[in-house]
Amino acid sequence: MRIVIAEDSAVIRAGLTELLTDRGHQIVAAVGDADALLAAVAAEEPDVAIVDVRMPPDHTDEGLRAAIAIRRAHPGTGILVFSQYVETRYAADLLRMGSGGIGYLLKDRVANVAEFADAIARVAAGGTALDPEVVTGLLTATRHTAVLDALTPRERDVLALMAEGRSNGAIADRFAVSERAVEKHISNIFAKLGLPPSDSDHRRVLAVLAFLNER
Amino acid sequence: MKTQTRVASGQPTVITYDNQVMAESASSPLRRVIEAPFTRRAWTELGYTLASFWLALAAVVLIIPMLLNGVLWAASAGPVRWFARLARILARELLGEDIPAPPPIGPALLRTKVATPDAASAATLAGAAVAAGGKARPWETKPGLTLKKLPLERIEELAAATAVSITIEQPPNAFGNWYGTRAFDPVAWRARSYFGLKLPLAVLGLAVIAACWLGGLFCLTFPAWWTLGLGTAFGMPSLASSFAFLPLGLALLLAGPWLTHGLIEGDRWLIRGLLGPGLAAARISVLEQTRAHAVDDSAARLRGIERDLHDGTQAQLVAVAMKLGLAQEKLAETGEVDLARVAQLVTDAHQGALEAIADLRILARGIHPPVLDNGLADALATLANRSAVPVELVTDIPGRPSAAIETIAYFSAAELLTNVARHSRARHATLEAVHVTGLLRVRVTDDGAGGAQPVTGGGLRGLAERVRTVDGRIEVDSPVGGPTTVTVELPSHA
Repeated sequence: MRIVIAEDSAVIRAGLTELLTDRGHQIVAAVGDADALLAAVAAEEPDVAIVDVRMPPDHTDEGLRAAIAIRRAHPGTGILVFSQYVETRYAADLLRMGSGGIGYLLKDRVANVAEFADAIARVAAGGTALDPEVVTGLLTATRHTAVLDALTPRERDVLALMAEGRSNGAIADRFAVSERAVEKHISNIFAKLGLPPSDSDHRRVLAVLAFLNER
Repeated sequence: MKTQTRVASGQPTVITYDNQVMAESASSPLRRVIEAPFTRRAWTELGYTLASFWLALAAVVLIIPMLLNGVLWAASAGPVRWFARLARILARELLGEDIPAPPPIGPALLRTKVATPDAASAATLAGAAVAAGGKARPWETKPGLTLKKLPLERIEELAAATAVSITIEQPPNAFGNWYGTRAFDPVAWRARSYFGLKLPLAVLGLAVIAACWLGGLFCLTFPAWWTLGLGTAFGMPSLASSFAFLPLGLALLLAGPWLTHGLIEGDRWLIRGLLGPGLAAARISVLEQTRAHAVDDSAARLRGIERDLHDGTQAQLVAVAMKLGLAQEKLAETGEVDLARVAQLVTDAHQGALEAIADLRILARGIHPPVLDNGLADALATLANRSAVPVELVTDIPGRPSAAIETIAYFSAAELLTNVARHSRARHATLEAVHVTGLLRVRVTDDGAGGAQPVTGGGLRGLAERVRTVDGRIEVDSPVGGPTTVTVELPSHA
């Protein structure tokens, strides 16, 4: 996989490069700010861009704005936003652009190498990878609690995993139930939230999150 | 050039660049006396004396008839303030005396008479009203009280909150508000006394001008007047004897500017005391400024700490976790394990962890140096030892200043020693800390290049602002070529 890394901390940049190279990916560019990132993406057309939210000069949300610009100019490039904090607003901004190929992870997650690699693969394939904390944040941020209250605890858990971008199979494994049971939960959730069922994995996630976030 | 920053309680920071004063004092006194009538200062002071006389006259003409009764006091408060403003403008434009404007006419008086069922409930309501920022005076003849500074709705809220049933006997009225705030407006009364004192001063000023400038010119040109036939009126029999007036004319002309200047010094003193915001208001304004600075400063410090944590320690630890994660995965691989690679990853991770620990230690010391817990003398000794430039330490700190003062003194010393190492090219520095009755003095002296100036955004200016928040002061004496002495004085307790 061809990957561009944008991260202002040299230590983390080097670490990511080492880790991903070790897994057989090709790091086509590793840069330290948003302008260099946009240039690198335009030149290299990578499969995935890993983007730190806070970068020079202002250390606020440069990375996120760059991510949105990349999505507009190169819809085919998967974007994994990478942050040291959970900012539900950023996540919501990203997800509102839709069409998958988007991830939002806490930096801590790289310590679990396998899960991190899995998240990159999902984003590259046009799926979604949301940090569990981001999902929790989005669920709590929603003011539409009356509808969420209608869900059973198990249905809430399933919804959270769906939002992270997990497949039905993965959710079934997590709870040690059959895939059919998961499908039943999901159709219940859709019914309670008033969403028409759909067969595309990431579209249902985006629909759910958009629903949670918009109200 | 010598630069001084003085920060004293009740006074805004004054930075004087007094190279001009030094240049003036360098010329001989005799020369200054002779040149005085021809300097720019003499002419502007002449102009000020003439202009301010008419202003004071107009103000007094307005004020005197308006002293008759309270309603006229109230009616004239606005115009009197307006005259005071003109006087401030005149003093600023011609004398360079920049006096801050006093606060505007106070908020509405809102005098309300409220009857209550009994004296106890009146006392309850009075307590609530004072707590809400109002004023309350219970009546003596019957249960009830007169409240001030609280709008009617607020009084009703307070009554409801304290479960006191009230009857409004007299709501605040427009005339009462107008009268109460204007008739006794302290700014207007101080302005009235200014003009009252200023007018005699201004008359004196006119007399000086008439005597010295006009009289001087007349004496100097007296022979000419004599030829026109004026001489006999002054008892001068001959043209030759009329030249006797010349030295007198010269003396008057030379004395004029100095007399005018002296009178204007008196006027400046009156203006500062009577046309400014007053001592309490000036103090409030200083407190507002320093509080705003203290708030900004602590917010900036927190932001700095967060940035240091984010860019330093947190990034280091993420990298460590990444390397250990990779090592863990390598060890779990089936087949032959690349032990050399794993060893390298663990070594790198270990190195990263050590760096993170070092970063944390520096960061923690920047927040609160632990050595400060043992007292300022120990902390300053550590600081002096760490300095890149050799530092001689003199401390005499009996008793302990409060923790906040010790911290400010410590960081002031740290900042000053850093400046010495960074900018002064000094070979030797002295750090002196003395604690005497209520005052902690920290002084750093170096034998470097000098020329230190408190520029906006610079370390010295930041230090001055921080010291000012506890009513301390800082004095910088740093002539070009050195040596530099910076003295920080702090109250022991704040």
